This record gives sequence, C-alpha cells and structure tokens, in this order.
Amino acid sequence: MKPSTMPERREGPVDPMPQSPRPEEGGGPRRQETGSPEKDNLMKRMRKVDPKQAERYRQRTGE
Amino acid sequence: MSWSDRCPTFSVVQPPSLMLNRIFGLETEYGLLIHKDRPDHSPTWFAHQIRDHLFHVQRRGVLDLHHRGHDEPPGNGGFLRNAGRVYLDMGHLEYASPECHSLTDIVASDRAGDRLLQHAIEDLGFSDDVSLIKNNIDHETDATFGSHENYLVSRRFPFSRRGMAPLVAHLVTRQIFTGSGRVGSAGPQDAWIQMDRLIIPRAALNTRAGARLPFQISQRADFIVNDFFEWVQHNRAIVNTRDEPLADPNQYRRIHLLLGDSNMTEYATALKLGTTGLVLQLIEEGHAPQELEIDEPVEALQEISQDQERQWLIQLRSQKTMSALDIQEQLLDAAMRHCKGQDEETDWVLTQWETLLGDLRGDYQKLVGRVDWASKLWLLECFREAERLDWHDPMLKSLDLEYHNLNQTKGLFYGLLEEGRVPRVTTDTLIGLAMDQAPKNTRAYGRSELVKYLLGSWSGIDSDQSADSERLFPPYVINWSIFQVRGRAPFPMPDPFKTYVEDVRTHLQDVIA
Repeated sequence: MKPSTMPERREGPVDPMPQSPRPEEGGGPRRQETGSPEKDNLMKRMRKVDPKQAERYRQRTGE
Repeated sequence: MSWSDRCPTFSVVQPPSLMLNRIFGLETEYGLLIHKDRPDHSPTWFAHQIRDHLFHVQRRGVLDLHHRGHDEPPGNGGFLRNAGRVYLDMGHLEYASPECHSLTDIVASDRAGDRLLQHAIEDLGFSDDVSLIKNNIDHETDATFGSHENYLVSRRFPFSRRGMAPLVAHLVTRQIFTGSGRVGSAGPQDAWIQMDRLIIPRAALNTRAGARLPFQISQRADFIVNDFFEWVQHNRAIVNTRDEPLADPNQYRRIHLLLGDSNMTEYATALKLGTTGLVLQLIEEGHAPQELEIDEPVEALQEISQDQERQWLIQLRSQKTMSALDIQEQLLDAAMRHCKGQDEETDWVLTQWETLLGDLRGDYQKLVGRVDWASKLWLLECFREAERLDWHDPMLKSLDLEYHNLNQTKGLFYGLLEEGRVPRVTTDTLIGLAMDQAPKNTRAYGRSELVKYLLGSWSGIDSDQSADSERLFPPYVINWSIFQVRGRAPFPMPDPFKTYVEDVRTHLQDVIA
C-alpha cells in the first residue's frame, strides 16, 4: 500500500514499541550464566509432566 | 466524566506506534488435552462448556443468533467485547483477534485470546481436568490445526505467482525464527503436490517418508503441500488464494496465511508479523528482491524444517544455492534501504530482525527465550541429558506438548518466563486490557461499541432457546465488515482503518430512540 495513495492513519504522538531486552541486558536467554535447567525450577516442571499425555492428546484436524 | 475516561483502552495506557498502513489479524485454533485416561467427557464437551461460560456467565461477548454458514449454526460462536471472535471450528476452540494497526496491539490482542480461554477454564474449575494447548499438531494421529495470519494489502497488490515470489521466499525461510519446533515428523499427507508443472501424490516423492526425525523446527511445514491454493483444510498452501477481503474489495485484498506455527514467545509473534508486513510493503512498492525465487518452495519448506544440521540450504529457480539465512539477510537489506525510518515500529522490527539473523549464525542456545523452536530444543536436550533418554522416548513428545500448555503454573514456556529467560514485547496490563477492549484506531473500535451495547440491551436472549421467529429475524447480525440491528438498515464497515465509532453510537442511539 503506497503511502501516497493511502490516507495516513497515524495518531501521533506515539511512543516507541517497547524494546525487547537484549540477552546481555538481562531479559533474554542466560544459558551461559545459569547452565542447565537442573539448577532452577524448569527441571522440576519437566519431571512433573505425565509421560503418557502425548498419547492421550487426540485432536481433530482443523484448518 | 467522558466516555474515554470511563473506558480506557490499552492505547491510552501505552500509545502504540503504528506500522505504516497495515492491518494485522491472527486466528488461533487451540487443542484441549484431557488429563484422565478414561475421561467423563470429550474434548468437544469441554470446548462447549468453555465457550458457553465465556459468553453466558462471564459475558465477554454476544453469541451469533443466525446461521453464519453450514458449519456455524446459531450459538456456535460470537463477537467479543474486544471485537475479536471466539467460536468452535472443526471441534477446536478458535479465537480471532480484532483488527490491529500495530504490532504492540496484535501481540496483546493475541495473548488476550489465550487468557480469555484459560481464565474460563480456571473459572469453571476445570484446571485439573483439561489443559489448553496452543500448538498445531497431535503427535499420535498427525492431526494439524492452524495459526492463521491476516494482512491487509491494497487491491493493486501483485497477486500473481511472479509477483509473490519474494513473499514465498520469505515465508519458506522465516521459519528459522518463527518455527515452534516439534519432536518427530508427520507421515505422508493425503494430498497432491506440484512438482514443476505436474501434480503428483505427495507420497510418491519417497523423500523422507517414514523417516523418524528427532526434532524439526516447524510444526506446520509437514502439512503444507502446495505453493498456492484456496482450500484451508486439505492441500494447504504456502499462500492461501481465497479472495475474501472482509473489506471493500475495490480497495483491499487480505493476504491469508496458514503455514505459520502458533508462537508462545511474544517476540517471535511480533517478528513473524512485522517482517512479513515489511516484505509485503517491499512488494507493494516494487522494491522486493526479484532474484530470490525458490525452485521448489514446498520441498524447501520441509527440507529447512527437517535439516538436522541446520545448514538450511535451498535451490533457487536460477539454480543458485543459498541458505535460508542468506535469503533472510537479502530481504532485511532491502527493507533497511527502503523502509527504515518510516515509523518507530518498523525500526524496531529492522533492529530485532538484524540481531536475530546474526544470532542464528551462532549457537542456537543464544535464541532461547526469543525463538520457540530453540527454546523447546534446549529444554528437551537438557532433559534428555539429565535423564539419559534417546529421541524416541515418548516422554519427549509429552514435554513438547507441555511447552504449549497455557496453564502458567504448568506450561514449560511459562517456566522459562518465570525464570526470566524470555523478553517481553507487551505487558500483562496491556493483555488484561485487550481482553475486553478493542484497539481504538481500527474498525474493531466501532464493533466493540456495538457488542457492549448489545450486551446491555439483549441480556435475555439465549441462542439455544430463542423462538423460531428470533432465528428467522434475529435481533442482530454481526460480521467483520457489516452489522445489522433488527429494525434498522444494515451498517457497513468496509474500511478496516476507520473506527466508525461515532457513526455506530449515532446509529445505536436511533435504535434506542
């Protein structure tokens, strides 16, 4: 859609989209800092998963 | 107190910046995981309970009172206060976002759908019985269900095989950062596939049929068997060609894509829509690289997804071999030259796109928290290592599923989020507002006004029990681009960029009078 042919819809002033933190800024992956999920709660979550649940998950085909 | 003071929208809390002249929409089909071996009720029974609770008890919207189609009888679904829709489609709960004019809004609106349905489950006390799964496959039966993207483009968009070659190049290769990943692969699909100018059964290709892959980066790639086609349940295509603009057909076309995976990370959702929006703009403005036409796009889509070495090499029509990363970098380069500086959201997309492609050239673990397939693969590898499992252990399929569980106390994605490994693109506050508020800068705003008015006016109507006369002459009929309230003329809303809000209020005042 060319700006010249479409009406400008901006409703300024606007704020920038929130910046996603870069990994080194603390918001992203921290594999190197914390190692494997054994050291946190992720492994606990994974061990609680029912090993058979994928067998039970029978869905209809959708679109 | 003004209306806007009483009814703040998320644009008031955090004004969105807008991607130039683009309307985005997302449709998500959810899976339901029943936790008992011998459950008292079927997934369909739970889906009906959740939908009915949402509309009848929580009053999040108004159910349709008319037949929308042969598979959508009265009461099958309805429009919400936020102007999106919840309905049952092929037995799946499905949520369609309202029309959004910014990535901030579309991400918040998409997550609002997750939360509306998850809250209904919790409100019903079903949390121990059923989990809402935002994925696209069932490992056991090879069923697939979709995440559909919608992009409004000009009617002048070159909707031809040649014109869309750069779009296809993007869609085939973007999975390296938009894929949600899965354990294993689907069996040969009962479908026909185009090879050069021949249409042959896909099973006859005998390429990877029967191969048991440990892991691939996309959930939907195995199920896409055509480059261009109009059907949505069979012979799914890279670009769906159904011409249904849901807007003024003289001005607009809606690019409808069903090849993408449902994303758990907000970051991947935003980049999926943002980069695709920019590639569409490059095509519209005649700046898209023309030398990237892929020789066999369907095959390339699947080969990239299944490439265990992650070399992601594909052959172009020119017989040149390039990697998916190289193609993405060429598209990024074109977008940098022609789109940079046009608005803040575009610049955000360009910066993150560049960063992501750089990181994709390194260890995949750098992408954990931003890219779903990488996050899932890392979790599975850590678990495999700790438990000494091989890739064929059924536990890995169950973990794959659990990554997509929308129950925040159980789901593995939410475990990553809780551990601070996931960057956010929106906030919980914005998502909470988007559950009941429409964006204030699109047609959704006017529709939201209508739904709220109807909720206050026709509280007694039950789609299951309404009289035959109500079914023949329902008090209201709502669609994406038009509505009618009984006794009044139809109210068309052909321009998705227009809010229509004042006109809708005037129209409804007349009804009240």
